[in-house]
Amino acid sequence: MIIQGTNRQGDVHETCDVVIVGTGSGGGTLGVYLAERGWDVVMLDRGGFFRAEDFTQREEDGMADFNGRRGLDSTADNAYFLNYAEAIGGCTVHYWGDSFRTPSDRLQRWREQHGLDWMHERELDAHFTQIERELGIHIAGEELFNENNRLVRAGCEATGIAGHAVPTARIDCIACGWTQFGCAYNRKSSQHITTIPRVSKVGGRIYSDARVDGITIENGRARGVSGVLVDRATKAARGRLRVDAQFVVLAGGALGTAELLLRNVDDPTVGRRFYMNPHYFVWADFGRRIDNNTGIPTAYAVDGKRIVEYDANGEYAGGGYIMLTNHQSPGIFATMLSEIGPKHAERMRKYHQLGSVMSVIDEEHPGRVFLDDNGIRRTSFELKGVDRLKAVDYLKNASRIFLAAGAQEVWIPDVYGTIVRNEHDIETKIGLRSVRPNAQFAAGSHLIGTAPLGTDPSDSFAGSTGEAHRVANLYVADGAAVPTSISVDPSLTIMGVARWIAAGLHERAGRAGS
Amino acid sequence: MNPLSSHPGMNRRSFLRTTAGGTAAIAVASLLPAGCSRDYPAAGTDGYTLLALTPKEYAVMRATAEALLADVPVEPALVAQRVDTELAAVGEPVRTDMKTVLRIMQHATPLGGHLRAYTALEPADRLRYLEGWARSRFGLRRAAFQALKGFTHFFAYYDDRTRPITGFIGPWPELLDLPVKSVDYGEIA
Repeated sequence: MIIQGTNRQGDVHETCDVVIVGTGSGGGTLGVYLAERGWDVVMLDRGGFFRAEDFTQREEDGMADFNGRRGLDSTADNAYFLNYAEAIGGCTVHYWGDSFRTPSDRLQRWREQHGLDWMHERELDAHFTQIERELGIHIAGEELFNENNRLVRAGCEATGIAGHAVPTARIDCIACGWTQFGCAYNRKSSQHITTIPRVSKVGGRIYSDARVDGITIENGRARGVSGVLVDRATKAARGRLRVDAQFVVLAGGALGTAELLLRNVDDPTVGRRFYMNPHYFVWADFGRRIDNNTGIPTAYAVDGKRIVEYDANGEYAGGGYIMLTNHQSPGIFATMLSEIGPKHAERMRKYHQLGSVMSVIDEEHPGRVFLDDNGIRRTSFELKGVDRLKAVDYLKNASRIFLAAGAQEVWIPDVYGTIVRNEHDIETKIGLRSVRPNAQFAAGSHLIGTAPLGTDPSDSFAGSTGEAHRVANLYVADGAAVPTSISVDPSLTIMGVARWIAAGLHERAGRAGS
Repeated sequence: MNPLSSHPGMNRRSFLRTTAGGTAAIAVASLLPAGCSRDYPAAGTDGYTLLALTPKEYAVMRATAEALLADVPVEPALVAQRVDTELAAVGEPVRTDMKTVLRIMQHATPLGGHLRAYTALEPADRLRYLEGWARSRFGLRRAAFQALKGFTHFFAYYDDRTRPITGFIGPWPELLDLPVKSVDYGEIA
């Protein structure tokens, strides 16, 4: 049953086996695993419940309805726009559906550096396979490629930089192009149309508009959560909410989970590592109309530079990022350009003839999530050290790819108005100043790592099972649990980890076989 | 966007003071407001009831839209009103941060070599003033510029009158009339 908190009057008191705070990649996956095996499940999400008919595809509606802080959140210094969702289905409502399995090198790092022995293909493959089957994850076929995707592929072939079609989570996609403001046709496999209905139909109760503020902890054990049901439009409280449960699972995303923990648990590891895979956006003017509005935004990814390389002297030699083909709606695009006045208007008029990619920088230096003096959640992030070099290398190689594909000029949308038309421009005009904070619009949408798993309690919030080191029966099963940057979209990793944690919880609770 | 404040234990004012250029900005911002009401010749609200901004902050926002959106078919007052509405809805920390940006922008014009407050500048001078902030070597000034520019442009270009400038035809479901797959959610209350 889906219960919209915005429609309720009065207080709510639930009792269940497990309460899950968050309904996205982690919460939805874990919730359906347990609910379909007989667990009495209650799920809570601070965001609203939206269906296909609610998705107008207008950016102003999508940003206001289900983007965190109405799409206006950023790091404290305003250098990185933070893109995350608050809705039933979490970030999968607005994600692009890119569904990469966790790279082997990352699993190896987590085993070796964080003691997570189970982070291995032999443990995770069965979970990934099941999730891929349920969500219809498949390699994007030619029917999903728009012209921007094809141009980037052509540029990769011409430059020798490797790229591949992406695995994408959609079934019977009609390639209408827009997915960032919710799929209006129920073709993208978001959690709100996949796992959540299944939880609902086996007796689970899913509350939207349910803001959790407290974790009930008695004698070192989590016993439930508390909060309020809110009016969706005004966010005013409509009634108190209390859920008593044998187990509490946090799956509110890297920001939501960290905020809840910072308010309730004294653990210095919370919020100490905050990864976002910084996105820098490059635009290429082809001097003619480019179809970048149909198909899917990212049918093709440039992955040949994913692994960072160092020379014999240990100096950075390139790589450490991937590129995703990209499109944006006019308002967001307008925000991304650094020009003002007539120059800005001139560039806006070229919107329809632009190709674009965005970076996924595999950063080594994380930021932080914290509560400020007023108790408000904030984030800080600084592109440092080798990560700055990765960003510059990305800007250069993105430019090369587009020029090789026939672009007349490539825009680095920084405040210096950097435009490149040839290799000489690339080498002389693109440098570190372009990636200084607030020298150009940048963003982060792969938000992870704020309550990480690991075997060392001084360096991780939860152990290898997902259970908190310092609070029994309290689990974390979302992006917050992921130890470090993944280097690709994290959604499938989060789902796989959540399903593994769910299976372990089910087994340890003595319910295996049910 | 929340361009100010920095890390645990640091409030907005102390952040400004630790940032080169911010020291001057906060000094100017704290000294000038009392005597500069004459620099708000258009500090009215265009008949609109403000929800989050003060009339002076509204005037700064409208003056920014006027400078940034010359020849763009959207009324500066409408953009300022949209920003006000949005700031009322989004709450903290975005609201207070943006209001701080507006106040600093208004009173830090001496940093750009101007003796008059921001709203009293001609639009072309405002544009040059903003360009100075955009390319400043001080991070705080670039942050304030990006916040102000971002709000102005976003709330100007999500508009059926401005979208056509871009050649964007939109994926509007009501026009596409494509089939929606049904989903059985079980009971919905």
